[in-house]
Amino acid sequence: MPQIFEYNGSALIAMVGKNCFAIASDRRLGVQLQTIATDFQRIYKVHDRLFLGLSGLATDAQTLYQRLVFRHKLYQLREERDMKPETFASLVSAILYEKRFGPYFCQPVIAGLGDEDKPFICTMDSIGAKELAKDFVVAGTASESLYGACESMFRPDMEPEDLFETVSQALLSSVDRDCLSGWGGHVYVVTPTEVKERILKGRMD
Amino acid sequence: MKLDTSGLESTAPLFGSLSSGIHDEISAAPSFALPNTINFDGFQKEAIQMVKPAKGTTTLAFIFKEGVMVAADSRASMGGYISSQSVKKIIEINPYMLGTMAGGAADCQFWHRNLGIKCRLHELANKRRISVTGASKLLANILYSYRGMGLSVGTMIAGWDETGPGLYYVDSEGGRLKGTRFSVGSGSPYAYGVLDNGYRYDMSIEEAAELARRSIYHATFRDGASGGVASVYYVGPDGWKKLSGDDVGELHYHYYPVMPSTVEQEMVEVTGA
Amino acid sequence: MSQVAVEAPPKGGFSFDLCRRNGMLSKKGVPPPSYRKTGTTIVGLIFQDGVILGADTRATEGPIVCDKNCEKIHYMAPNIYCCGAGTAADTEAVTDMVSSQLQLHRYHTGRESRVVTALTLLKSHLFKYQGHVQAALVLGGVDVNGPHLHTIYPHGSTDTLPFATMGSGSLAAMSVFESKYREGLTKEEGIKLVCEAICSGIFNDLGSGSNVDVCVITKGQKEYLRNHQSPNPRTYVSSKGFSFPKKTEVLLTRITPLKEMVEVIEGGDTMEE
Repeated sequence: MPQIFEYNGSALIAMVGKNCFAIASDRRLGVQLQTIATDFQRIYKVHDRLFLGLSGLATDAQTLYQRLVFRHKLYQLREERDMKPETFASLVSAILYEKRFGPYFCQPVIAGLGDEDKPFICTMDSIGAKELAKDFVVAGTASESLYGACESMFRPDMEPEDLFETVSQALLSSVDRDCLSGWGGHVYVVTPTEVKERILKGRMD
Repeated sequence: MKLDTSGLESTAPLFGSLSSGIHDEISAAPSFALPNTINFDGFQKEAIQMVKPAKGTTTLAFIFKEGVMVAADSRASMGGYISSQSVKKIIEINPYMLGTMAGGAADCQFWHRNLGIKCRLHELANKRRISVTGASKLLANILYSYRGMGLSVGTMIAGWDETGPGLYYVDSEGGRLKGTRFSVGSGSPYAYGVLDNGYRYDMSIEEAAELARRSIYHATFRDGASGGVASVYYVGPDGWKKLSGDDVGELHYHYYPVMPSTVEQEMVEVTGA
Repeated sequence: MSQVAVEAPPKGGFSFDLCRRNGMLSKKGVPPPSYRKTGTTIVGLIFQDGVILGADTRATEGPIVCDKNCEKIHYMAPNIYCCGAGTAADTEAVTDMVSSQLQLHRYHTGRESRVVTALTLLKSHLFKYQGHVQAALVLGGVDVNGPHLHTIYPHGSTDTLPFATMGSGSLAAMSVFESKYREGLTKEEGIKLVCEAICSGIFNDLGSGSNVDVCVITKGQKEYLRNHQSPNPRTYVSSKGFSFPKKTEVLLTRITPLKEMVEVIEGGDTMEE
């Protein structure tokens, strides 16, 4: 069996625009080459302005998500407010690093709107080494293609509709070069006033 | 150490060539130099793992009332990476015979072309076309002589000869099977599912083509290593003909049309967990 | 009170509960995942008034550059900084951990932290994990006893040096130091030498790249020069931007308006970072 990260297959991307951000994923859940589901949820809402995408081994992703929701709820009870994206990123990092010598096989992507509607995006490796980026972050089995696509398509300060188009095109063109991800796309564009969630039409092979 | 590659020979007459002496010094057979290694099989296996494209595939062929239907996808992959979406996996050996490609792309292409040469020589020597049975046996014999040396071929030879439609499955393990319905490649279980369910001997050409296309489509949907274009060939008494080549990306929405996009305002809750 | 059934937030330390599963997987032939590394050039030197630290800004994951401008000079205390090489998560975690211990120690004693305190905390942590916490560090700072520069190896051994290099580009950087370092450098000379050493790492070591970060620490003050030099600007940005030939097709849109953010008046220090 090759790399454990390639067991289920995934593609994730988060990108920053002007006072907004987009986070997108593919919709496939597979067991190696066999496609099990084509409506799999890989991006989770933590609260209205904070989203979390989990690539890698799906079983670990779901466990990790549940632990993070639990910790976020404890925080909400204690502090009576939502977590800032930066705080949440530190929490994810700490939870992952706790398992330094027996990690979750997950690579998270975090995207949220912080104070004064400043977009925040971040990714980590499976043991919680944070990478804060100003432009875009990618993860999953299609990450190499995504790096290339984003690197050439990204422009700073995009408006939400522009950002949506860029993210979607980058995602769809990248997963078309990856056996293990694709089968449609799922994009969230978050602005200070609304969340726009869209299901993309993509190749189903 | 040299490896006998008399199977490569195209100039030698086919009949009686085996007895006339492969080891004849004058007409020494061309040969590959073998690697200088103690564990030859292990070396081969390792070397092949390093360069092996076109692993995942779906190909199928079946005999029905009107002839043989042959279909395949067009994806070539290396690990998780898709290296091409437009590979020709149905190889046209001659106007009456087709071969399909699964396993190593280079192995299949090379030996099918080699088979084409042999078939043509047979035609010239005997003034009539080679039977599908004969052609498949030629290929199977070559593959058997290289057994265990790392060739990776899973192919179907389909065609029309004096006895009517013919279909054989030949692989690099040396196997050769006659049959009416075959599917080869990583997507074959999915293709078999559709194929076996919809197969009837007395289908029309249109029905058979649709069944073949649908089987390939369903295989590409479920199998990550299959995709691209579903091409369908038909071999009848007048030779083969390409019936269709449909992009699977469009085929899906043809089979399962989607409703035009509706904008939902104010969702109760985003589907989270 | 009885034990809480739910898992409470951990008190700290590593958790090994997935080790058995992951061990089982690797026994079945699944290779362990690769982590983000800072295949790095980090350096430090002592000049006449204090210490200068330098680092490149490339982070890699296997052959992929995953961060082109990361920060490798970590804050330890107002008068102490630390460059990290090795597994990114480890260098980050170990420096964060020790810097918070130093902060607590300062609250307790009300005195400026000493470099040796940081050194001892770091080496004892690394020694405890026998090299499994893969952090190679260059620690520099100025305290009551003057400027100090140390290197710390992943197994917990330390050196005290007038000039030091670490990471995959350490040999390239050291060759610059060995030929040009002398005692009593001025600040400008020191920064220039550090930049030169880092640049030799950037250009000659594949694991290092992008920009030069520099941190100058003198008695009572510090200068963190983030991206002091950018010798590798992007040269291939299209001024026209990118246009898409075909618009993305959307199957479903859901719009959720967000409620006005409720202003929360935060009292005192928040618990961030």
